[in-house]
Amino acid sequence: MTESNEPAVVLRGVVKRFGAVDAVKNLDLNVPRGSLVGLLGPNGAGKSTAIRMIMSLIRPDRGELLVFGGDALDAKDRIGYLPEERGVYRRMRVGEFLIYLGRLKGLPRHGLSARVEGWLERIELPGVFRSRCQELSKGMQQKVQFIGAVLHSPDLIVLDEPFSGLDPVNTRVLISAVQDLHKEGRTLFLSTHQMTQAEQLCERVILINRGEKILDASTREVTERFSPRAIEIEPLVRSDDDQDILAAIEGVESVRLSDDRRSIVMTIAPDHDLQLVMTQALTQVPARRTEISRVSLDDVFVRLVTEHGGHSRVPIRGAA
Amino acid sequence: MNGPRTGSGFRSSRIWIVAAREFRQTVLTKGFIFGAIIFPLLMFAVIAAIPFLISSTPVPVSGTLLVADEDGSIAAAMQKAFDDYKANGSQPAPGSFEDAIATRPTGPEGDLAGNFEDAPISVEVIIERVPLDSDLSSARQLVQSGERLGLVEVPAALLAADPPRDLDISLLVPSDSPAKTTALFSRIARRSTVVARVERNGSDLLSAQALVREPKTETARLTTNGDEAKELLELRFLLPGGFMMLMWIAAFTSANQLLTTTIEEKSSKVIEVLLSATSPLELLAGKIVGQGLVSLLMLSTYGAAGMAGLAFMTMLDIIAPTTILLFVLWFLLAYFMSASIMAAVGSAVSDLREAQSLIQPAMMAFMIPLLLWMPITENPTGWLATITSFIPPIGPFIMVLRTTGAIEPIPNWQIGLALLVNGVSTVGLVWLASRVFRIGVLMQGKPPNPLELLRWARTR
Repeated sequence: MTESNEPAVVLRGVVKRFGAVDAVKNLDLNVPRGSLVGLLGPNGAGKSTAIRMIMSLIRPDRGELLVFGGDALDAKDRIGYLPEERGVYRRMRVGEFLIYLGRLKGLPRHGLSARVEGWLERIELPGVFRSRCQELSKGMQQKVQFIGAVLHSPDLIVLDEPFSGLDPVNTRVLISAVQDLHKEGRTLFLSTHQMTQAEQLCERVILINRGEKILDASTREVTERFSPRAIEIEPLVRSDDDQDILAAIEGVESVRLSDDRRSIVMTIAPDHDLQLVMTQALTQVPARRTEISRVSLDDVFVRLVTEHGGHSRVPIRGAA
Repeated sequence: MNGPRTGSGFRSSRIWIVAAREFRQTVLTKGFIFGAIIFPLLMFAVIAAIPFLISSTPVPVSGTLLVADEDGSIAAAMQKAFDDYKANGSQPAPGSFEDAIATRPTGPEGDLAGNFEDAPISVEVIIERVPLDSDLSSARQLVQSGERLGLVEVPAALLAADPPRDLDISLLVPSDSPAKTTALFSRIARRSTVVARVERNGSDLLSAQALVREPKTETARLTTNGDEAKELLELRFLLPGGFMMLMWIAAFTSANQLLTTTIEEKSSKVIEVLLSATSPLELLAGKIVGQGLVSLLMLSTYGAAGMAGLAFMTMLDIIAPTTILLFVLWFLLAYFMSASIMAAVGSAVSDLREAQSLIQPAMMAFMIPLLLWMPITENPTGWLATITSFIPPIGPFIMVLRTTGAIEPIPNWQIGLALLVNGVSTVGLVWLASRVFRIGVLMQGKPPNPLELLRWARTR
């Protein structure tokens, strides 16, 4: 296999233990090049441990871990990393701090200031080049760190909870930057427990709980697999017979009122076409509004985590 | 690629980038610039300037001094002394008779006229005698009003061959009389009393001075190869102590800074960002090198100030170039040992308070050279000095005491063996620190005990 065809990240049977706690158990992952993959899971599921292994900050106890087909240690300069625990040199100036990180990532000194200035403009932090990091708000510091992760144009960008603690405006700015980087062909691997962002951004999601992978599928597959197969219809004129009429349509398994009691929710049998049933329903009950119910990643997350024994016991501390 | 790889993921250029940041962030602070550079230079400048400041402040003395004595002999002697002083100016000066007789006399009255190096430059004093048995109240009023420079009252018994020991000369001066002036009057009154006493008792002052004059001694040490080494008693103790203290301060200031910055990087969580770009070993090496450069800068500043001081006193030849070369080597070993310990501890804890308990044993060991300063300097080739030279981490400090203080050269085999033993120990300590550092920097929670640190060092 040539390097360009190899996945950005591969984990095969990776195990990591901290004392008596299994932080990661036999984890298999495959992050294709150019993809935008979300690593989801509740607090303490092992997401950060997996990411730290990919970043070669800690080594797996067992299993194989490849980044761009080789040792993660050799790919450091090709990876950009935004850790979960944010940190800056408080007394250092923003520009100086980012230049330092860029130099550590192998960027030449020449032209680096302009590059930093460009990124500060791009993520709406103009004029802070000479400000000290401690003078910035927490959200602004987070954006500075985001620049630190992407400044050297890495092939793989690993973002650990990139949106936590950000206000909606700044979240939107970062989401836009992430989408732009993806369009440029970079591989993005982000961990989050905020399902809305994962749903909005990721083309593939991997869900882990208690160190084990419990879901690995494209967002479309997840939607299809976990679809509730339900149609919600809000009648134009309310009638007591509406529910009986709709229940009589072929393929409708059950009928119930929605939580706000304004709509009727029909559950459709697996072997029937949702579009066909919806057309029949509309001919019999004129509707103000009708739609096929969609599953949210939130629902899938809660359902799968509950099925697999609930949340992890405790967040993992340390990284020996 | 950034630079040559010296191992998996190990690049020297990253070390220099980290080192440059450490150096800049430490040196370009007001605290460092003032405390480590400006303050010592200022101190040196002030010390160097003091003699000029003092000598360039003339205090003219002009007027009449009242002298109450039994027969006028003391008044006459004092007038002569003032006249001689005016004629000869200030000479190397004793403040006491014992000092005066140890100096070669310059005339029949010996050094009466001179030897007042901190006395006023311009002196124009006329002596007015007042009989001792007269009413001195009007004389006192003249002094009080400032019309007279002072009143010297010499009891008659002080001119006897065996004067009572508890009897003093009385000197009254106006309240605003400068201290230098009163000191001059006091000295001349004392010496003139002695001159008058000697003459009254029929002796010759010059002969008496010559008889009781103590000769000086010049000590030299005979080395094993037969050479004579001149003994400079004060420097024999001060020079090694100065060198060792300089090394101790420079090494520990930087090692302490290393501890602080490591804890800061860990507690501010910036360490994980750094480790995504460098390996722990590169980061540790960069930090140690950066702070090492800081300590070398401090060492150079203080060292240069010290050398300038010696040059000022025309004593630069007491330090051989090889001594300085060896000093730098001992310093590097001491710094790397202390820095390794501090970096390892800094990586393992979350704040300075937690660091204290882990550092304490090491600090106690590093205090030992301070306690051994005197015994080692007293006998730099003795068994205590020899044995402790080979015990890390105190060996480099002991060797500095020995090489800068020994009259007799330290045997080359001892220098070589001490370099080898302490050098190997330094490499070992740096390696151990790197093992602890790579685990410690990512650890959170309860600080480890020393046994756990050793377990980390063994972890693959």
